[in-house]
Amino acid sequence: MRNSINRPPTPVAEEDQDHQPTLQEIINIKLIESGEKERLKELLRERLIECGWRDEMKSLCRAFARKKGRNNVTVDDLVQVITPKGRASVPDSVKAELLQRIQTFLASASI
Amino acid sequence: MSTGNPSYTNPKPCKHLADYKLRHGLTGYRSLQKLFKTTPNGRTSVEKPNTTMPRCNSCNGFQGRLYFCLICSTVSCSDHTLLHNQSENGHDVAVDMERAELYCCVCCDQVYDPDFDKAVMSKHIMGIPRDKNGDESIGERLVKRRRLGSGVVEEELVDLSKSKQLVSMRDRRAKSCYPLGLRGLTNLGSTCFMNSVLQALLHAPPFRNYFLSDGHNRETCRKRSVDRLCLPCDIDAIFSAVFSGDRAPYSPAQFLYSWWQYSANLANYEQQDAHEFFISVLDGIHEKESKLSNRNRDNGDCLCIAHKVFSGQLRSDVTCMTCGFTSTTDEPCVDISLDLDTNNFSPKNIANKPIKSNENSSISTLLGCLDLFTRQEKLGSDQKLHCRNCQEMRDSVKQMSIKRLPLVLCLHIKRFEHSPVRRMSRKIDRHLHFPFSLDMTPYLSSSIVRNRFGNRIFAFEGDESDISTEFEIFAVVTHSGTLESGHYVTYLRLSDQWYKCDDAWITEVDEGLVRASQCYVMFYVQKMLYHKANEDLSCLPISPRRDTFLPIAGCC
Repeated sequence: MRNSINRPPTPVAEEDQDHQPTLQEIINIKLIESGEKERLKELLRERLIECGWRDEMKSLCRAFARKKGRNNVTVDDLVQVITPKGRASVPDSVKAELLQRIQTFLASASI
Repeated sequence: MSTGNPSYTNPKPCKHLADYKLRHGLTGYRSLQKLFKTTPNGRTSVEKPNTTMPRCNSCNGFQGRLYFCLICSTVSCSDHTLLHNQSENGHDVAVDMERAELYCCVCCDQVYDPDFDKAVMSKHIMGIPRDKNGDESIGERLVKRRRLGSGVVEEELVDLSKSKQLVSMRDRRAKSCYPLGLRGLTNLGSTCFMNSVLQALLHAPPFRNYFLSDGHNRETCRKRSVDRLCLPCDIDAIFSAVFSGDRAPYSPAQFLYSWWQYSANLANYEQQDAHEFFISVLDGIHEKESKLSNRNRDNGDCLCIAHKVFSGQLRSDVTCMTCGFTSTTDEPCVDISLDLDTNNFSPKNIANKPIKSNENSSISTLLGCLDLFTRQEKLGSDQKLHCRNCQEMRDSVKQMSIKRLPLVLCLHIKRFEHSPVRRMSRKIDRHLHFPFSLDMTPYLSSSIVRNRFGNRIFAFEGDESDISTEFEIFAVVTHSGTLESGHYVTYLRLSDQWYKCDDAWITEVDEGLVRASQCYVMFYVQKMLYHKANEDLSCLPISPRRDTFLPIAGCC
């Protein structure tokens, strides 16, 4: 049975409308709306490039692709394999800087 | 964004993408264009119009990667893309919302389609705001394209009104693989001072873009002004010649002649000072351009290209040592002249007690010079100034800081010491260490003034300035020799590769050589403009916009 091309998505079940937003969601929304999330991401990108983290991840990905064979690797595989290593190797200074930025933002956004 | 990998080939689409293309062609991409949002950095993302935070249709999650179905616009998180695909037959292809990249839900992998990228890129270009001074007619732009040199291979005449058309021009005549715009300048008789500065100007991104996009049209200028002397016209001619693709050394004779006429006192074959020449050229451009049109912003800022690119503002604070009252004046500047932080100098606080320095003060650094420039300077007792508060002449302390940074920062090191007392001049050969990346934050008025008050938190006018403080070096004018007899050489940094421009000879050099050189005038440009300029170098598209060359990913 064919589906029409621009059929609107099936509406989400009604019960979710009463759902209370978690603190995490509130913070996320505030970050996005103020544009701060974008800025933080840019800052993080810069720092991670500067300290060589990105290049390290790149070589890890290359090694993985070489081992598994170039045509047998999907993005999902890479993400699954690299994510734990990536998270573990973020320098503390970068973490600290971003935490501080976020704290400052939260203070100013009076959350 | 990639700058064009020569071995780039279009990857074969997976059968699901191929299927999708067969059935829907480009309609899905086109309707998605309305949802593309591009940041100034060039990142494109997909944004649904009414929601700030997209959520997965199945689990309501908002974290991690979210995928937007090309057929029904359903959003799924990475855990539930397969679920969506299984429940809806044929909904295989989605778009990673954060990155605006294609994803095949069945293959669980990223897929690539040049048509999709084209759809993203054409939206990208339309997203960049138009310059308000868009009085350039399409006809003039066409003329400029032709004038860029017969060495450039042109494609069929493109209708420029269709802004989505991008023509990539590659200089096929170039014998070497040097980037476009590198051309030696012959020495016309001790004119290395001129050649060295010209090389830097030729590669100052906003200055270069202005001239290469026909910012100063010679024909229009000739018709408009009776005065035949026009430095901008001659500079435009140099730009055309240097960027034509011809690699044979070029003689800027016409320009030299014009400049002689402009600054008659320097019209001789004697050696001149490169910095003095630089200031004189900017002056000449300003004079001509401000005559042509009443280019002034509402707040009185001059909009001639020389000032637009190089002009910044310095702030001078003079504090009375008795009552603490500070009087502030702003002065415009096109460059900053710095004294060398020599060994004799030791950091002192106001009370003139030396502070113990734990740094190795035997090396002079650019940051040291900038620190020196922005240090609180106790004015001598013979330089008492009138304090408005005390109503008397008082001992004062002066502090300089940078109120507004220019697009291109020109830093001049005062190596030539003229002592009127001893009636002699000498050159300071001391080596100066300078960084390739420079963050000017600590020298801004906001930082300096805050520090003065012990780092208190308070709002500062100019805090919301949209000019960034990070700069990248792109040209160094170096001097070797003595005051009377010396030689200027410019090192240019293009796409992170250094080139030595020694009059007619251009060679690739190692950055170590540049660091070891004796810098005299350094040119830094805002980081974003530097990176944009690098992307332009290998692939010069014709932009429908007047001012800037636009980076295009993967167009080669």
